[in-house]
Amino acid sequence: MSVSYWRLRDRYYRIIGSICDSCTYESFPKFNTCPKCKSHDISDKEMPNTGKIISYTLSYESMPGFEHELPMSIGLIKLDNGVNIVSQLVDSEVEDIKINATVKAVFRKINADGNSGQIYYGYKFKVINA
Amino acid sequence: MNKVFLIGAAGTAYGKSNLTARDLSMLASKHAIENAGIKPQDIQASFVANAFGMAEKQGHLGPLLMSSLGIPHAPSSTIEAACCSGGSAFREAYVNVASGFYDVMLITGTEKVSHLDTLTATTYFAYGGDYLFEGCSGASFPGLYAAMARAHMHEYGTTEEELAAVAVKNHNNGMFNEKAHLQKKITVDDVLKSPVVADPLKLFDACPFSDGAAAAIIASEEFMNRNGLEKKISIKGSGRSGGSGSLHTREDMSSLESTIRASREALGQAGISVKDLDFAEVHDCFTIAEIIAMEDLGIFEKGQASKAVVEGRTAINGEIPINPSGGLKSKGHPVGATGVGQIVEVFDQLTGNSGKRQVNDARIGLTHNVGATGGSCAVHIFERE
Repeated sequence: MSVSYWRLRDRYYRIIGSICDSCTYESFPKFNTCPKCKSHDISDKEMPNTGKIISYTLSYESMPGFEHELPMSIGLIKLDNGVNIVSQLVDSEVEDIKINATVKAVFRKINADGNSGQIYYGYKFKVINA
Repeated sequence: MNKVFLIGAAGTAYGKSNLTARDLSMLASKHAIENAGIKPQDIQASFVANAFGMAEKQGHLGPLLMSSLGIPHAPSSTIEAACCSGGSAFREAYVNVASGFYDVMLITGTEKVSHLDTLTATTYFAYGGDYLFEGCSGASFPGLYAAMARAHMHEYGTTEEELAAVAVKNHNNGMFNEKAHLQKKITVDDVLKSPVVADPLKLFDACPFSDGAAAAIIASEEFMNRNGLEKKISIKGSGRSGGSGSLHTREDMSSLESTIRASREALGQAGISVKDLDFAEVHDCFTIAEIIAMEDLGIFEKGQASKAVVEGRTAINGEIPINPSGGLKSKGHPVGATGVGQIVEVFDQLTGNSGKRQVNDARIGLTHNVGATGGSCAVHIFERE
């Protein structure tokens, strides 16, 4: 996945999505035509770094590269602008991870290609107000 | 559109197989051709449903299958829509025959995944969703369905015991299906005490990874008349919809918009309401998926389906039997074969060949097949002639 990840680095590093210049609809990741008003006038937009958990799971099943982190918390988060994002939840007590808890994005190492390969960085979220 | 008939359908046993996806597809196809009462050379074209061909380093299965049937000239392409590959392949074949372009088509779904370790298999499933923005954040497929389950529980008060009742019911049905992967009676307690996969979903809330194949043959009315074939089952409606390819870009986490659209299209064509259905085969990759499917299809109000399962209303002898085959949960989930396998169950039910799991006087059946977290959905409605 190294090439795909590098190409999408602005989205992983700074949570860059899109905003429709006509109707101000925002979404993550980027879109080319506005899903609401169908305008093609779209600009990049950095998403807010805080939001609330709308659903979550404590997962015992791994994806490649996350084996050492099990069990891991995954959140479905509604950012402050109403845009949803899926992210790992870290630096949080399991009992604080609940629906409507406030979370904030943190910059973290996400994964790596073995011990000497490329390291992937990006966003994770942590609970700041349970 | 011309009237189209389902004239033959057959599947292999689902489970762990020592055959390749290619050999499994040949067995199912040959059997379906036999029970359709036609010759291989009557088949003009075919669609193959095979989602994870690369797991065996074999893509482009169609020409190999056609060659094995002695009809290498017949065109065949793979249709891939993750777990909805089978239903999608059937839909595309239906469009070809209903439009009058072809008279007879074969649809074969096949998959071989049991040789993969769990991490690899889980990763293949994640490739069918939004891999870069969900899978790469660590969210496995069960993880995403767990988030849907949690949202449904939060919104409607659905409980883990109610989810478990879906698994218990489907295992009960699968006990009467000698081709089912998991022929084992289980209890609510067994489900609740099984290992957690992605909280609140446990191992027994999930379908197994299965090998297997299923095939169906459809034909035009003109072909049936010309060859004096008995018209047993007609295709009354075909619905197909896309939905958000990612879970997080959906408006409602406890509903699949693609199921709502595809089912309304199929029901509209058939000119019936869900109340007219005698049974349905729905996409229960996880127990929560069967609950959401029944609600989105309109069989039960939102928040009511899980109660109906607990009350036995969806059992084989209930008011609307759901997944008499055992569903993905017990019968198994050989990804590309799954959607076609649902149609095999409809064929068996509507021809009265379902043995101990036979739905009493089954006349109209529906199939519902979903890809990923709802990015694709295919719904078909069949009626006994």
